[in-house]
Amino acid sequence: MTDIRYLAPRTLDEAVGAFAASQGAARILAGGTDLLVQMRNGAVRPGTIIDIKKITELTSIEEAADGGFRIGAAVSGAALAEHPRFGRVWPGVLEAVNLIGSTQVQGRASPGGNLCNASPAGDSVPALVAAGAVVTVQGPKGRRQVAVEAVPAGPGRTNLGPGEIVVSFTLPPRPEGSGDAYLRMTPRTEMDIAVVGVGVSLTLRDGVVAAARVGLGAVAPTVLLVADAARALIGSRLDEAAVHAAAAACRAACNPIDDKRGTIAYRTRVAGVLLQRAVAIAAERAGRV
Amino acid sequence: MTKFGIAQPVRRVEDPRLLKGNGAYTDDITLPGTAHGVVLRSPHAAAKLLSIETAAAKAVPGVLAVYTGADLKADGIGDLPCAVTLKNRDGSDQFSPPRPTLAVDAVHHVGTPVAFIVAETTQAARDAAEAVMVEYDILPSITDLATAMDPGAPQVWAGAPRNVCFDWEVGQKDKVEELFAKAAHVTRLTVVNNRIVVSSIEARAAQAEYDSATGRWTLRTNTQGGWGIKEMMGNNIFNVPPDRFRVITPDVGGGFGMKLFLYAEQVLACYAARKLGRPVKWTSERSEAFLSDSAGRDNITLGEIALDKDGKLLALRTRNVANMGGYLSNFAPYIPTMAGTGVLASVYGFQAVYANVIGVFTNTVPVDAYRGAGRPESNYLVERLIDAAAREIGMDRVELRRRNMVTPDAMPYTSPMGKKYDSGDFRIVLDAALKKVDWAGFEARRAAAAKRGRRRGIGLAYYLEATGGAPTERAEIRFAEDGFVDVYVGTQSTGQGHETAYVQLTVDQLGVPGEKVRVKQGDTDSIPVGGGTGGARSLYSEGQAILVTAGTVIEKGRKAASETLEAAPADIVFEAGRFSIAGTDRGVDIIALAAAQRARAAKGEDVTTLDAAEIANIDAHTFPNGCHIAEVEIDPETGTLELVRYSVTDDVGKAVNPMIVRGQVHGGVAQGFGQAVLERTAYDPESGQLLSGSFMDYTMPRADDLPSIDVDFIEVPCRSNPLGVKGAGEAGAVGSPPAVVNAIVDALSPLGITHVDMPATPERLWQAVATARAA
Ligand SMILES: Cc1cc2nc3c(=O)[nH]c(=O)nc-3n(C[C@H](O)[C@H](O)[C@H](O)COP(=O)(O)OP(=O)(O)OC[C@H]3O[C@@H](n4cnc5c(N)ncnc54)[C@H](O)[C@@H]3O)c2cc1C
Repeated sequence: MTDIRYLAPRTLDEAVGAFAASQGAARILAGGTDLLVQMRNGAVRPGTIIDIKKITELTSIEEAADGGFRIGAAVSGAALAEHPRFGRVWPGVLEAVNLIGSTQVQGRASPGGNLCNASPAGDSVPALVAAGAVVTVQGPKGRRQVAVEAVPAGPGRTNLGPGEIVVSFTLPPRPEGSGDAYLRMTPRTEMDIAVVGVGVSLTLRDGVVAAARVGLGAVAPTVLLVADAARALIGSRLDEAAVHAAAAACRAACNPIDDKRGTIAYRTRVAGVLLQRAVAIAAERAGRV
Repeated sequence: MTKFGIAQPVRRVEDPRLLKGNGAYTDDITLPGTAHGVVLRSPHAAAKLLSIETAAAKAVPGVLAVYTGADLKADGIGDLPCAVTLKNRDGSDQFSPPRPTLAVDAVHHVGTPVAFIVAETTQAARDAAEAVMVEYDILPSITDLATAMDPGAPQVWAGAPRNVCFDWEVGQKDKVEELFAKAAHVTRLTVVNNRIVVSSIEARAAQAEYDSATGRWTLRTNTQGGWGIKEMMGNNIFNVPPDRFRVITPDVGGGFGMKLFLYAEQVLACYAARKLGRPVKWTSERSEAFLSDSAGRDNITLGEIALDKDGKLLALRTRNVANMGGYLSNFAPYIPTMAGTGVLASVYGFQAVYANVIGVFTNTVPVDAYRGAGRPESNYLVERLIDAAAREIGMDRVELRRRNMVTPDAMPYTSPMGKKYDSGDFRIVLDAALKKVDWAGFEARRAAAAKRGRRRGIGLAYYLEATGGAPTERAEIRFAEDGFVDVYVGTQSTGQGHETAYVQLTVDQLGVPGEKVRVKQGDTDSIPVGGGTGGARSLYSEGQAILVTAGTVIEKGRKAASETLEAAPADIVFEAGRFSIAGTDRGVDIIALAAAQRARAAKGEDVTTLDAAEIANIDAHTFPNGCHIAEVEIDPETGTLELVRYSVTDDVGKAVNPMIVRGQVHGGVAQGFGQAVLERTAYDPESGQLLSGSFMDYTMPRADDLPSIDVDFIEVPCRSNPLGVKGAGEAGAVGSPPAVVNAIVDALSPLGITHVDMPATPERLWQAVATARAA
């Protein structure tokens, strides 16, 4: 085993500087629940580890005056759960983040790590996509903002540039009559990799869907924003035909693999089923009577 | 009744030690100067071994040696043995392939040991393993049991055409044909008994040292009995008298049959220790366990039952194709044949039974005994068949069972498979089980679940298990200097609670305080013979040995007391741990007496001491039996299954410690549920790679998969041993797979589904529902 350098900068600039200077030999460490596992089994061998948990901006949660939220990329699932307001506004995002791993894992695992690990089955990502979260990224060339769904590039790969670090997620203000939900299907009840994950966010006005977003995980090389499913829901009263059309759009968007966890037919079919159920939960949370 | 009395739920005396981390497992022990071994394994399922280049590996700093199959052959190391040779139907012998400790010219499954690297540290040995250059000529492989006998399937062994290891039969073939010919109805069903990765919590490990002065090895290794290991090491491997091996078994964290066998790594540790003159230690990684621990089950079985017009079961006929893996493990051919078929008649009055078992090689990890070893497979088949038959002939499944159960007045009953059931009251157990779960009221629960969009089903299995194992067992009782009573046993706990049950028996016999009894196990030097633990034999086998030995202790004590108290032996009574002169208050405590006699003997006096050792003959198997009832709910849209209720009513004879029996049953049910619903061993058909090679991919049951399981006992004392006990260690895993699958099929039967194979994963259930709906 070669020695690994461990850095724990207190500012983002230092972190970006060190990360850029390493020229690809460094890795960002948030909770480490992916990184350390990958290092142990030899999949990655970084020369330097840059721990971002000492940087306030990355570990804080802020509620803006307009009702929007800014979540630091390295905030743990447990910390997010303890926030007095977040789960009331975004119950679907919170349940997705809290599905990651066990109680122990929750104390470490972050949404930023979940996103940057770029697993197609990352649980928080479809919910954040549905929420319309925007990611703030900082790199040697400064700050930029991108949609969550634009970050993953393929299994284990992101569109982040050299030296870029995900700083935070910004979730928009929530209009009256909104609700979200995340459901996943795993071969077992807990602590397993999703074969399908569906996030839904809805805003209802007088029983009619005014806005909707659908995120779909584990059925394609990256988590998907399923615009067709959202279109099928918007303007409807969530009648059976609209929900079925949305489910069909989800199935059509699926491009899964056939593996020992689930066949293509199964993943595709279940994607539609979970969409229907997630819509029902989100609608209830949005106050549908 | 004392705290340690029989039938008391005595807390396990081993638990404070084990739970506080004070146990000592094989890997916890590292002798001074220990070198560490790593096994290099074949990455290919089938290949010729062309060459092995070890120079670069030997040059890695810290490396002490790199051994290959050629080195072992040159030193005359024998092959790993298979103790069983079956006769084929045509009278010839089974095909028994060689199984060298390290591959010599070919490999037959991914994980076959190819080289052993020993270094100052495990890390150095691992680095060196990467530097060993092996040249393989990769051959086509076959890992699928269903097609392994097809013409044109890749041949695992040249000497075994169609990959057949043996083609064996048992039973009354002609009579069975006759009964089928006149049957009013015949039910046929093919079932898959899926391959199980045993996954004991503690991985296998071995640590060997060699004393060149005496030519003796001390091997510390986690086994289910060191005596068999010692015999095989001497007789089959090193060609020396077995007594040259001292096998010490420290605490063991789970065995389930898998730790009964002699493994390559134990041999390699001993070999390297002699070569290097240093202790050598090897501990399995979890991923290695997947590739090298003997696997369980893995059968495809066609079963047929013949019934008369009244629903009387006439005859049973089976054809079982059993996977042996790439080599034959120690007892592999025995499991689906002699072990498994013995209980085919189960609790039912079949007039005749015939079984044909075909052992088949595939390029997979060798298969051997796993909790129940053949009996779960047979019970699964029979209980699935009976449910299927009931559905086909339109008879209630409970009634079909009840009608055919052997009655208590027929006991002792000899089954068509030649097993003599000493006792059993199956209908009483069945009725109690049904009442407990409100079987009659189930339809209301089904309807309530349907309102929630769930399909609920109830399933029942009545199992009969035949325990087995070595036909003798030894116990020795020694009164130690420190005032303790030491009981040396020839069985081996792997976590079951033997230490507690044996204390209870000793307390019951000798009247000594439980706190003063110590159970000693697992050292072949201090315990000359032992049958080890397997086949749920320990309590009734070792229990009988303790009984006989305690009897001898008491006889010797009576004589000693008569010497001390100056009375005739006939006037000495023994009660509650005290020898006294009948009708007087003059007496002596057994521990005090033993100490006094030992002290006098030490001074050279010719007196009777109390220590004794005896070997008991274990004349008969026991036949634990019982009724498992499962209720499941299935989400038909996703195939997700929830086990919502599980209930067991068991006849394990006399329950010496009901709490321990319950624990055993809980564990067995969890394992059986794992097999029924979760555990899928998947090989890639092209490459022969094990796809489910870690706990990420291989789904073990967990606490949150299971409801609280209730276990009640109806004690029908065993008549073939004086304790009245029946072996309970395996029973949970015997009853649960059929109960769960019967519940699943019941839930889905309104859709016309008549069978679902294990493991009933969400995907498989969803597929079954989708197919049924499309039809
Ligand atoms: C037992 C167990 C169970 C699990 N169960 C689940 C589950 O149910 N669902 C699920 O989705 N995942 C699961 N995971 C995976 C893992 O916990 C999650 O992906 C988690 O969100 C990762 O977060 P982290 O903070 O630990 O990431 P880390 O391991 O610290 O980082 C992950 C990757 O992202 C990079 N990275 C982290 N933060 C940033 C950043 N701000 N900017 C740029 N790059 C960054 C790291 O360099 C690394 O490559 C499980 C893991 C374990 C060990």
